[in-house]
Amino acid sequence: MKLLTHNLLSSHVRGVGPRGFPLRLQATEVRINPVEFNPEFVARMIPKVEWAALLEAADTVRTLPHARARPEWGGGRGRSHRRPGSLARVGMPRGDLGLCPQLHLVEVPKEPIEGYEHDEKFLRKMHHVLLEVDVLEGTLQCPESGRLFPISRGIPNMLLSDEETET
Amino acid sequence: MAAVPTDSGSRPAAGARFFCTAGRGLEPFLMREVRARLAATQVEYISGKVFFTTCSDLNMLKKLKSAERLFLLIKKQFPLNVSSVSKGKILSEIQRLINDDPESWLNAISTWKSLLELDAKKDKLFQRAANPPKRKVEENDIINAKKLKTEQLQELQESGECPLEKQTEEETQEQGDFFTEREKSQEAFQNDVVKAADAKNQSNLTFRVSCRCSGAIAKTFTAQEVGRITGIALMKQFGWKADLRNPNLEIFIHLNDIYSVVGIPVFRVPLASRAYIKTAGLRSTIAWALASLAEIQAGAFVLDPMCGLGTILLEAAKEWPDVYYVGADVSDSQLLGAYDNLKAAGLKNKIELLQVSVIDLPLPSESVDVIISDIPFGKKFKLGEDIKSILQEMERVLHVGGAIVLLLSEEHHRRLKDGEQSSIPLNSEGSHTGEPSIKKCLKPGGKTGTSEAVSSSFEASSQECLDKTPPFGSLVPVECHKVSLGRTDAFICKYRKLHSLGL
Repeated sequence: MKLLTHNLLSSHVRGVGPRGFPLRLQATEVRINPVEFNPEFVARMIPKVEWAALLEAADTVRTLPHARARPEWGGGRGRSHRRPGSLARVGMPRGDLGLCPQLHLVEVPKEPIEGYEHDEKFLRKMHHVLLEVDVLEGTLQCPESGRLFPISRGIPNMLLSDEETET
Repeated sequence: MAAVPTDSGSRPAAGARFFCTAGRGLEPFLMREVRARLAATQVEYISGKVFFTTCSDLNMLKKLKSAERLFLLIKKQFPLNVSSVSKGKILSEIQRLINDDPESWLNAISTWKSLLELDAKKDKLFQRAANPPKRKVEENDIINAKKLKTEQLQELQESGECPLEKQTEEETQEQGDFFTEREKSQEAFQNDVVKAADAKNQSNLTFRVSCRCSGAIAKTFTAQEVGRITGIALMKQFGWKADLRNPNLEIFIHLNDIYSVVGIPVFRVPLASRAYIKTAGLRSTIAWALASLAEIQAGAFVLDPMCGLGTILLEAAKEWPDVYYVGADVSDSQLLGAYDNLKAAGLKNKIELLQVSVIDLPLPSESVDVIISDIPFGKKFKLGEDIKSILQEMERVLHVGGAIVLLLSEEHHRRLKDGEQSSIPLNSEGSHTGEPSIKKCLKPGGKTGTSEAVSSSFEASSQECLDKTPPFGSLVPVECHKVSLGRTDAFICKYRKLHSLGL
């Protein structure tokens, strides 16, 4: 699950309504998944983003002590500067982030800046946060009812039981 | 039709004449596609086939998504005169297909050769430029595997008429419009003929005939017999050699009560079998047609809330890449299949998957730009009245102005239509062909039998709907097309959300 997807999901437990957003993200396994950078596409996604929710989600991914980032070595298109290595911790102090170039971008700009459509640096950051951070395992929690939804193999399971759907 | 001088396999300066086979009901989609993608001219159709002229090369032709197979046209003419009881007379009619107008054959062959040569040249250039030996091998393997399948399919076709085809023919009306006097055309091609006759290696060609017969002629001859007769006539006429196993050239003949069509299959693998789809759920051509109606814009959020194996999203993501796609399903096994499919297609990064129920979407109201879905039906899925709650939930999450494109069973379609006013035009399309003389409206759905108004274009039909009472809430039907899924029929229906639900 990309953080972009998290940003669009809302709890649908009965009676929760708009208070079901945003879902609280708990990540136990995160993969950094190289995705081809398409500035126009990212720019079009920016207006859809609920910024506060994104900041919170990115923060969770970055600071969870046991969360692990698993870059996809070799696979995919972005065969850029990355070298194979062992699993990297997400929650390491900032000073060490230089060793882990695929992670330091989880830093989210505090808000969309003026003229972001043409600001490549900004768009690259957003590209990374929205599209390349892939939560493989973890949970989503309804902020109102506390209901937990598991994420496994990158697919959130948001099926409700019969009781939960009854009105 | 007066503007169209001929329909034999000629090669005027404007390009070559082709035809595609298409699933019943997909002809309007294919006509629109050849115009848009190939800048095709003289586009016309008969049930199950679309004819067009284009200068496109094989690479472009390969991109067609709503067609089953592509053929270079050799000739299309009136049906054979089989009213006579004499078998011999019919036999000579069949032979005349070959002997009467050899130029059209030679013309088509030389066009076919130049298409292949052009392609080979380009291939070489490409190989020299970028040298991907590893990939090449994989591709060949895929093609070989597919080849087997295709050949099996062809054998099936040869061994007789398929029932689907029969139905199709019964619906076809207007016949004569496509055909014009042959004399005129022959004059026009004299020059080309000389060139074609000069082409070398003509006599070294090996060929095989695959034949499909239905209607009256099928009562007198089997497809195999017709194949043999034409095969012998071709050997005599052109000196080609028959080779059933691995011929250079395949000749496809389709004879029925409405027309006789002869062509050369351009690709061994049908266009409809996509190399990038590992396990197809829905037929790829239908999936593409659904997506093509959805007006997918770059940067849109597109949802398939019952994605199954993800076929619609795969087709959409291949065609419209800069889009955020989400596929949802309740079933573990379907999602697993979809996951494998996305991975195999290299589209894992473009399409997100969710496990959710279509009637409880975990999405805020008015957050989705486009919804496309194949609503399951049949024994396995008893949705019944649920279809309305499905629509309600889709309506909720859709943006105002957003579109929903659904594939509906006849039953679902009827249920949804109950809410509509009967005067809403439910057109199965026809007149946007732009050639009034071949306008032929496929019978609209429903058992009313009344011929409903046929609007002059997709857009016009949507406008007409504007002042009608919507079937439910803010969703208004825009267009509807009856398509064949083989055994059953279904409807491709498009709705638009006109206003916010609160209003």
